[in-house]
Amino acid sequence: MFGNNRLPAFHPGLTQSRIRDTTTGNRLWFPGVRSPPSESSPSDSDPPNDQLPLPITPEDLYDTPMAPFNPYTYIRCPCSELNPYAKRTPDVTAQGLSRAAQDDDDHTFDPRAARSNYSLYPLEYLSFCEDCHQIRCPRCVAEEIVCYYCPNCLFEVPSSNIRSEGNRCTRSCFQCPICIGPLAVNHVETPPDPNQLLSPDHAASSHSGSYLLSCSYCNWSSTEIGIKFDKPNSIHMQLAKLRNGGETRLTAKERKERRKEQGGGGGGSNNGQGEEDLDTLLDMETQFANLKSFYQNQLSDANGTGKAGGDASAALGNLGFDAPASLSRIMSLYTGSSSLHDKKSKSRPGTMREALAPSEGLQLASLDETSAITALQDFESTTGLDAYSSTASTTQLQSQTPYLGASPLHGLTRFTSSLRPIPYLLRTKRSKRCPQCRHIISKPESKVTTTRFRIRLIAGNYIPTITIKQLIIPGLTPPPMPNLPPDTIAPLQPAQFVLTFKNPIFESVRVTLATPATTPGRFPSKVTILCPQFEIDSNTDVWEEALKDNNTSSASTSTSQQNLSSSTGPEGGPGRKRAGTLRPGTAGGASLAGEELGPEVGKVWEKGRNWTSIVIEVIPASLVQTAKRDGKGPIKEDEDVLEIPMFVRIEWEAEAPEDEIMPGLSGAKGGNKDGGKEKRELAYWCVLGLGGLRGRCKRGFVCGRS
Amino acid sequence: MSSATPSPDPRSSAHGHHKRHSILPAVSQSGPKPPVQFSSSCTVADSALLTGPHTIIVSTESVIHPRARLESLGGRVTVGRRCIVHERACLGAADLQGRYHKGSPDKDGRSMGAVTLGDYVTVEVGAQVESGGTVIGEGTTVGIGTRVGAGAVVGKHCTLTANSIVAAGEVIPDYTVIYSNGLRRVDKRGVSDLKNKAQARQIDVLRRMIPSNPAKFQ
Ligand SMILES: [Zn+2]
Ligand SMILES: [Zn+2]
Ligand SMILES: [Zn+2]
Ligand SMILES: [Zn+2]
Repeated sequence: MFGNNRLPAFHPGLTQSRIRDTTTGNRLWFPGVRSPPSESSPSDSDPPNDQLPLPITPEDLYDTPMAPFNPYTYIRCPCSELNPYAKRTPDVTAQGLSRAAQDDDDHTFDPRAARSNYSLYPLEYLSFCEDCHQIRCPRCVAEEIVCYYCPNCLFEVPSSNIRSEGNRCTRSCFQCPICIGPLAVNHVETPPDPNQLLSPDHAASSHSGSYLLSCSYCNWSSTEIGIKFDKPNSIHMQLAKLRNGGETRLTAKERKERRKEQGGGGGGSNNGQGEEDLDTLLDMETQFANLKSFYQNQLSDANGTGKAGGDASAALGNLGFDAPASLSRIMSLYTGSSSLHDKKSKSRPGTMREALAPSEGLQLASLDETSAITALQDFESTTGLDAYSSTASTTQLQSQTPYLGASPLHGLTRFTSSLRPIPYLLRTKRSKRCPQCRHIISKPESKVTTTRFRIRLIAGNYIPTITIKQLIIPGLTPPPMPNLPPDTIAPLQPAQFVLTFKNPIFESVRVTLATPATTPGRFPSKVTILCPQFEIDSNTDVWEEALKDNNTSSASTSTSQQNLSSSTGPEGGPGRKRAGTLRPGTAGGASLAGEELGPEVGKVWEKGRNWTSIVIEVIPASLVQTAKRDGKGPIKEDEDVLEIPMFVRIEWEAEAPEDEIMPGLSGAKGGNKDGGKEKRELAYWCVLGLGGLRGRCKRGFVCGRS
Repeated sequence: MSSATPSPDPRSSAHGHHKRHSILPAVSQSGPKPPVQFSSSCTVADSALLTGPHTIIVSTESVIHPRARLESLGGRVTVGRRCIVHERACLGAADLQGRYHKGSPDKDGRSMGAVTLGDYVTVEVGAQVESGGTVIGEGTTVGIGTRVGAGAVVGKHCTLTANSIVAAGEVIPDYTVIYSNGLRRVDKRGVSDLKNKAQARQIDVLRRMIPSNPAKFQ
């Protein structure tokens, strides 16, 4: 029973899926990030009881209020293929490539498969390698650190400092330990004379010459942990020396002296100290230093019995694994008790003993919680706030940096009142390399304060963007069903979507699309691309276009600029031409009728300067199941979204590089060359998210809660 | 500064302080005109909104910004000394259901009034202090967009950070900081006197920047 309930939670397809934004209803694109358990999601993995809830009632489908759905396109990076780089050997031919593409066609890409979660990205997150002519995603690029810097003071930190001083800002940059807000260095101001408060005396208030860190959001200040600073700069160094309460940390010399005092008082220290000072609190570094010196003494004593008079440093030299004493101990550990070693160890009484006193590094765990309990009670009685708010949260404790001066090791703080400021974690700027050819794909300017890039090859500059819009023609598209939540598609009823492809490159591009006839998964929807092959014109210079348009009329600069701005986008502008009117061979009247009839098979829907739109028709599946027909079980995550896998192949002719022969997809065959041009091809899978799926019950209505 | 602002002599604004004018359309003063008790040294902007049948008291050197609303529909509204009520803040607001609560009478039988601000209180932009015996203690800052429920008693020198919510009838102890979606902690800085002094300095600047017209409401 228990196992049944828990099993789905660990199913990779359920837990490692893309997270859906609860406010917009759209998927977020963090691949591999486990979705947080949400109480509001009905499609969650854990069914409430052992019985599968069958049949699915409309209430199940409508459990969450539908957030608006934005259509999306995700592109699959080729690195998720089984052998991503194998077929891109230099001698590959165009034929071989198309065969490889056909192989891809054979096993339709399933966007809901658990693996797909890791390879789907919005176009903006993809790079493009110009040498391999292939898409690269954040997952497959190799990153290199260009520089380290502090996000607060924007100072670059040399990597040698990272090794010696760690990965935090060592200047004066701190975050509030309570609310992680940035801390400011301020004067410790002395309160003004209360008698003069209401008098119009606006002289600058006097300050005492010391400084503190303060948070302007939650009003925390370093005086709460008793820490003030002598100077306003290099706070990090000053803070490292100060313990909570303002006491300075012991230096190594002081520790040694202190130990000497205690050691002198305790005599030979072999019998340990008196019980009364066992409760002495040691800070972490003192305890470590005490333990270290204790064991060093022990070892030198133990070796000293063998060769009397040997000084400590010589004895330390014998501490390695090859030292006879150590070796015999290790041998007895691994070989069990052999009579030989037993005799030997008996012959050497008291080889090693454990620490018995704080001066030797013994720190008793303090299990007495009364002080913590009284602190909680005191907090409640003095402040009137809930005592719980005085305890540090896990997040607050985790963001604390280890501090060696903290005392004691056991019973680490659990109260917010002893949290220390957090020095800012350094950030990095990184460059990215292609995983295959090692060329740099992205390289930021190494100066911290500039946000520019020296090299940035983003996929959006190479492959067409796809935008999706539902096609609604008045009179032709059936009216929306009653009770249908917004942004969901009516089930079992044809719906049409306009896909607009916008070409970013300066060559005209030939696009071939393919989809499976039905979407993969338990609720297959039928898909038809009305025009699977089309061309997109080149992304010509907008100025050229504007001038061409205005050549006939006496165009002033202002009008040409107006045209320029309006013709850039696919929506609107003078470049917009409905295919019906553009098509040659159709009479004017016929084209008008064609427009009214809606999209035609094999015809482009609309065409513009560097964009073409086509129509895709879907018959969405219904999510309603009856108990008898097929017990599919509860709707799983993302099954209520109409996602269509689509294979895109783009072909174009590019200027052949003269000095090098491109390996890979460029198809560097001599026959392809035509006056310095060569054929290029790029093929990839993408996923179109069109809308939400709903159920329809037997009576023919879309089920709602009304 | 829009050019529509009437300026009789451009040179006069060149050496003096610029008076701050709102660029929004004029406020329509609707509802009953409340009886007011203004201190002679207070600053009440011309476009502040004062409505309701009960008395509105503004004490010494307090500043009421333009478009701040003071509604006495639930009872008397009292603003202490050296308070600042920012734009679109509302004292004596209705609750989320649109009801104006009346303050319950205290031990001596006197009415608590709708809203009482102690001295040195700052009510920041868009904050709503509901009517119904609501008290804000001395030196407290009511952050931007914060809502203080009807009958809540906020202690002295508290900080309610932006968009906090204090439930109706809640009693907040002195020196409480409400931050980060309702978390609470104690302000141990001990700078309340310094803050009051800074408030006095700020008021000194504001009085020169906000055109005051208390006579309009009297
Ligand atoms: Zn990849
Ligand atoms: Zn820094
Ligand atoms: Zn803070
Ligand atoms: Zn490459």
